[in-house]
Amino acid sequence: MKSMYRIRIAFSKQDPVRWLSHLDTQKAFERALRRAEIPLAFSEGFNPHPKIAFASALAVGIVSLGEYADIELAEDMAPETVKEKLQQAMPEGFGVRAVKKVPQGTQALMAAVNRAQYRVRVPLTKEIEDGMVKAALDKSLAEEAWLVEREGKKGRSTKDIRGGIYQLSGHIVEGHLVLEMVVQTGSEGNVRPEEVLEIVVRTGSLPVDIERIRILRLGLFVAKGDRLMTPLEVI
Amino acid sequence: MQHTHESINKALEEGLLTKVTKPTRYTGGEYNQVKKDWADVDVSMAFGFPDVYEVGMSHLGLRILYHLINEQPRMVMERVFAPWVDMEKEMRARELPLFSLESRRPLTDFDVVGFTLQYEMSYTNILNMLDLAGIPLKSIDRSDDAPLIMAGGPCAVNPEPLADFVDLVVLGEGEEVLPRILQTIAQFKQAGRWRTGSGTRGREELLVTLAQIPGVYVPAFYQSEYDEKGLFRGTKPNRPDVPARISKQIVADLDKAYFPTKSLVPFMDVVHDRVMLEVLRGCSRSCRFCQAGSIYRPVRERSMETLKKQAAELVKTTGYDEIALTSLSTADYTCVEPLIQSLIATHQEQKVGVSLPSLRVDAFSVNLAKEVQKVRKTGLTFAPEAGTQRLRDVINKGVTEKNLMETVESAFANGWTGLKLYFMIGLPTEIEEDLEGIAQLAERVVYRGTGILREKGIKKSVKVTVSTSSFVPKPQTPFQWEPQARIEELEEKQAYLKKRLKDRRINYNWHDAKVSFMEAVLAKGDRRIGDVLYRAWQKGCTFDGWSEYFHFDRWQEAFAEANIDPEYYAYRTIRYDEPLPWDHLDFGVQRQYLVREHKKALEESLTHDCRLDSCSGCGVCPTLGVSLDLRGEKHVPNSNRI
Repeated sequence: MKSMYRIRIAFSKQDPVRWLSHLDTQKAFERALRRAEIPLAFSEGFNPHPKIAFASALAVGIVSLGEYADIELAEDMAPETVKEKLQQAMPEGFGVRAVKKVPQGTQALMAAVNRAQYRVRVPLTKEIEDGMVKAALDKSLAEEAWLVEREGKKGRSTKDIRGGIYQLSGHIVEGHLVLEMVVQTGSEGNVRPEEVLEIVVRTGSLPVDIERIRILRLGLFVAKGDRLMTPLEVI
Repeated sequence: MQHTHESINKALEEGLLTKVTKPTRYTGGEYNQVKKDWADVDVSMAFGFPDVYEVGMSHLGLRILYHLINEQPRMVMERVFAPWVDMEKEMRARELPLFSLESRRPLTDFDVVGFTLQYEMSYTNILNMLDLAGIPLKSIDRSDDAPLIMAGGPCAVNPEPLADFVDLVVLGEGEEVLPRILQTIAQFKQAGRWRTGSGTRGREELLVTLAQIPGVYVPAFYQSEYDEKGLFRGTKPNRPDVPARISKQIVADLDKAYFPTKSLVPFMDVVHDRVMLEVLRGCSRSCRFCQAGSIYRPVRERSMETLKKQAAELVKTTGYDEIALTSLSTADYTCVEPLIQSLIATHQEQKVGVSLPSLRVDAFSVNLAKEVQKVRKTGLTFAPEAGTQRLRDVINKGVTEKNLMETVESAFANGWTGLKLYFMIGLPTEIEEDLEGIAQLAERVVYRGTGILREKGIKKSVKVTVSTSSFVPKPQTPFQWEPQARIEELEEKQAYLKKRLKDRRINYNWHDAKVSFMEAVLAKGDRRIGDVLYRAWQKGCTFDGWSEYFHFDRWQEAFAEANIDPEYYAYRTIRYDEPLPWDHLDFGVQRQYLVREHKKALEESLTHDCRLDSCSGCGVCPTLGVSLDLRGEKHVPNSNRI
């Protein structure tokens, strides 16, 4: 049965909850929604569970300012009320940024989201000029293929991620190399920000302490032609 | 490097946590966590659970004491668990000390570090945690202002193997005594008598003061003696100002006892991830092998009104979708049926289910399980414990084969297709016939189940899991004088059952006999075992309760080096007139009663449950000045077990 009431929640995930796995995050949401006494719609069957769908899984340890989840309600509730109640019931580190009603017939969140924006920050092991970063970026972007190795269920495989890079820039801030990027995510393919960093660093022989990488997801988007829209803007 | 909470925080966030599995074991920040400003407290305690986070967070005692102490305005309690092996490696590589989850302070910042003794095989983890914290392992080596190392919990019934390592032990239930202990410490500190930072010498004086609190045992103030043949001869005070015997403390009125209405909600999956409602404490069924049945007496119940209120509040404050009714034997709660019905009726709308963690063998229990099933499916586990009526009478497990078969029939008729059956092997007086009895019982359950499913037209095959643990003689039980079956003997018994239980529909699993042997040695050990523990830890023994980390060879080396014969502790028949290492610790159950029960066991004679019949004279009520406390309107025996 399709529920009448669907809401979309925009949220952030920072310390200390950035260490939660995707599964832990789902559970944390479910429990917070119960504590907030938000009327959830449940699935049918022997083991009923609330209907919550996340836009995209976030890897453990990554801070995000732009995550999204769709939730089905059993009865109507004003988005502002949901926002207020849910924020109070969330564990420290989760911020409820906005809540909006989702009209009937809207494309599923997970299917719609196809771009992710990241900022990656890593300490330099020795001082370098901004020009060296620019050269590394130019040289990397001139390559036709960016081959990365991935561990999968069927063992190692090689993938070309070059086609999934839509924007890429970089500069030096207080002894750190900082890259900003918009990359592909979702069902068509997923580019991992640490892979992009590794390619740029390797291509330009940049001196960084890769162990101390910090990744920030700035947001998730729906690409409409040349335009990037947030999942809240498309509804 | 001297670490502070800032430097620990930095190390964790900048790289360390990305290197370990399940980082939320170490991050804290769970909903309902209490974080206090240390400037506003007079006394601080770290609750140490000597196992990994997901095991420790399933422990109800931790949850009760955590909120109890943190509700005291000037006290703080934080948590620390044994770091998993990957985390330990990273911490040692960076010389990062063990820290609490809440404030990420090193344990040396705390006034008290208290360990709960849930299981003998976690003892090496206590040593390892102290070492990781940079606290000297032995009491005698600690400086005046080092934290006080405390222990409590069920294994405190015989804490002697840990006597060298702990400064004080709390016997019995902690709700009333722990705040008193911390208050005393706070007063000492405020009076400038301990931990003033200017080299005070208050530690011993403080421990003498604490030893005056009923239920507090300071091992250093007692001396154990042995004769020239190395036989234990007794433990006596070595100074005049401490009591000769220490008595366990209990909460007389469980209904009025503190119970938190908030509870920590872990992020990762923990073993018991649900609202835990404690319906009663104690069990007087008097199974003769059972230590819990002895040490938690007498039975005290909570009222339905209190439990309903607690359940509603906990569901609201945690967001859990399941309420578990926990106790040693929940089906014995005099109000169990109306309570379950009421909880289901109240919480069904929110899709919150009710569960029963363990069940007794009788039709009544199946009916309860059926009630519970309306909301959520739970597995059924029964514990007949022994394979023949004779042996079940020896251990006073009053269940009959007729009970069991009726129960099983009722379970299969009500839709279950799989069951678990728990047995114990190596029990006193056990012979081959008793093992054969286990196999035959399991087969009969399978045949009956298959028949019922066929009649009902269900195609699914019956699945019966048989689990055997090995008998471990435990202090304060009627079997404390009994020898344990030898490892080889237990392995032969397991091999016999493996061979007998070949039916595809039966799944057989068993406990490692070497672990059971170690449990017996540690459970009944005297102070000399401390040296063995220390050597085993030095050889790298930790997480002994986890089969992949249990190294029996290291333990054997440790025994040999310490010149200790473990068989003396596990395999010897102890005479009634011999002194026991736990004699100076009074758990209320009288020695004469245990002797009487032991003799009755050998005569295969039963003892009734004092809830259903007259007093069995165990001595707990008069010794502790308490009484049996049942809440049912009219107490009707809900079982036809005897």
